[in-house]
Amino acid sequence: MSAVSARPVPARRPTFAWRALLALGIFFVLALAFPFLPLGDRREFLLQIGFFTLVAGIMALSWDLLARSGQVSLAHAAFYGLGAYGYALLLKAGVPWGAAMPLAALTAGFVSLLLGGVTMRLSGMYFAIATLAFTEVVRTVIQNLPESVAGGANGLLVPALLGGNSRGQYLLALALLLLTVGVSLAVRLSKLHHAFAAIRQGEETARVLGVNVVRYKLAAFFLSSVLAALAGVLYAGKTFFISPLDTFSLANSISPLTTSIFGGLYTTLGPILGATVLRVAEELLHNTVKNGYLVVYGLVLMLSILWLPRGIVGLWRRGRQGGDL
Amino acid sequence: MDLFLQTLLNGLLQSGIYALVASGLALSVGVVGIVNFAHGEFLMIGAFLAWAASASLGIDPLLSLPVVALAVFGVGALTYRVSIRHVLLAPELNQMLLTFGLGILLQNLALMLLGGNTRTVSTPYQASSLQLGALTVGGPKAVAFAFALALLGTLYFVLYRTTLGRQMRAVAQNRRGAQLIGINVDRVYMLAFGVSCGLAAVAGVLVSVLLFASPTVGLVFALKAFAIIVMAGLGNLTGVLWASVLLGVSEALVQTYVPGGGGWSDAVFFLMIFGTLVLRSFRGNR
Repeated sequence: MSAVSARPVPARRPTFAWRALLALGIFFVLALAFPFLPLGDRREFLLQIGFFTLVAGIMALSWDLLARSGQVSLAHAAFYGLGAYGYALLLKAGVPWGAAMPLAALTAGFVSLLLGGVTMRLSGMYFAIATLAFTEVVRTVIQNLPESVAGGANGLLVPALLGGNSRGQYLLALALLLLTVGVSLAVRLSKLHHAFAAIRQGEETARVLGVNVVRYKLAAFFLSSVLAALAGVLYAGKTFFISPLDTFSLANSISPLTTSIFGGLYTTLGPILGATVLRVAEELLHNTVKNGYLVVYGLVLMLSILWLPRGIVGLWRRGRQGGDL
Repeated sequence: MDLFLQTLLNGLLQSGIYALVASGLALSVGVVGIVNFAHGEFLMIGAFLAWAASASLGIDPLLSLPVVALAVFGVGALTYRVSIRHVLLAPELNQMLLTFGLGILLQNLALMLLGGNTRTVSTPYQASSLQLGALTVGGPKAVAFAFALALLGTLYFVLYRTTLGRQMRAVAQNRRGAQLIGINVDRVYMLAFGVSCGLAAVAGVLVSVLLFASPTVGLVFALKAFAIIVMAGLGNLTGVLWASVLLGVSEALVQTYVPGGGGWSDAVFFLMIFGTLVLRSFRGNR
């Protein structure tokens, strides 16, 4: 008996999803090759679709980062918008673009700490409503500031990113998506992953287990909003023009949420796959559904919740335990 | 002084519609336990149905109101049957996102089919007004307020004086207990959700007279209704009334006394949500 119990229990090999990592690798190789393909007459158009797919990927994955800590936010449009506005205003003040970009992202990050601090003790729908309200307050404030400060309801003109070089812009977006994926993988492999999961599954229990809930929730907010703000910077630099109604639109909070759920919540691969599928579908459907393309997002969200709660990533790891990335 | 009284009166009149929308939402939150993010879209459907009846058949919105309410009650009951019912036991997140998806779907479907333009309903009493001493009241506003009061009275009568109402309150208090004493919980849920949508549609009809019908008209009212039920405490039906009055009057005050108030009055309810939520979370009772 004693011999049996003395035998060391073999440590369970950590399950690691090599396949998900491989899929991510393939995605990045294809995405890197894309702008160098002979794209023909529609090159500009295709590069633009590619660019916004990458931006959607950054948004979705950064939203997912926050969701992993149990905070299902409707404030992503706010950080996207703060990134866009911060960047535009810094450029206007004469800051070079290379410095304006991280500064705008950090500003959004610090604002997110304020929001995170205030909403710290809210959960579920209270949290969702408070974050939705936050977005509207930010939009109303920017819209009602004097026009000389932030352009008011008319919006602001923004100089083109990288002098309007489409390939350069695309590669910059790809680099930022790579950064986002890097952050996501780092979170997945560090103890943050376990802390987030514990908080998500039961905040009180996590606290009892010694998880510093306040610190981890704020960390999730900070990481997520900095990345979302970078997506906003890309958007501002690509479209040359930002207005409160477009940048802080509810659609910018809905898309990352739908994309993550459709792709696969709490994974790195899921939101990126989701963004690719939904964004390409959006372009294909653009001529059919015109200004109501969000119909697709609504439908996808409903159907995913009812029939595909683990997203498309969940389809091929059905019945397999662990190994999610 | 007159300006102040006039402001209070305007706010009070506005709160009638808020109370209608919010008590519908409170019903679905309190009884069914579903936070319906698509509530505003049922209001929008009501507004468009009233507009359609008025534009194509020439029926006054206030006359088509019962039919519209009944139709949207049916749509709501059907929605419960095909979607809500399947997530009743799912995590709160899934319920929330399901209704959220439904809302986006309905809103953009309307945008696709009808375009983003606002449609106004013209009625003979549109420009009429009542004079109360030094105060003036717009005719449609007064009529809408009267309708809202009458409906809320009926709702509270049904909830507190009839068997169905008692069943609803029993289910709201304890689902399993209600089931044990032989209440058909599924049926009560369906009716409560239908009535909730029907109330939103009635508010929509009144909104089509007072403002206009448009695909996005519901969102603002739904968000304000959220503010109200959060202030009142989730599912607290009587709290809804005073919270509506508080919201309506504060908005009117901001509109009158804050320079450039038109733009800022839309932020009032967000500040209210924020204030209430944060205050409540720090006092510790959620």
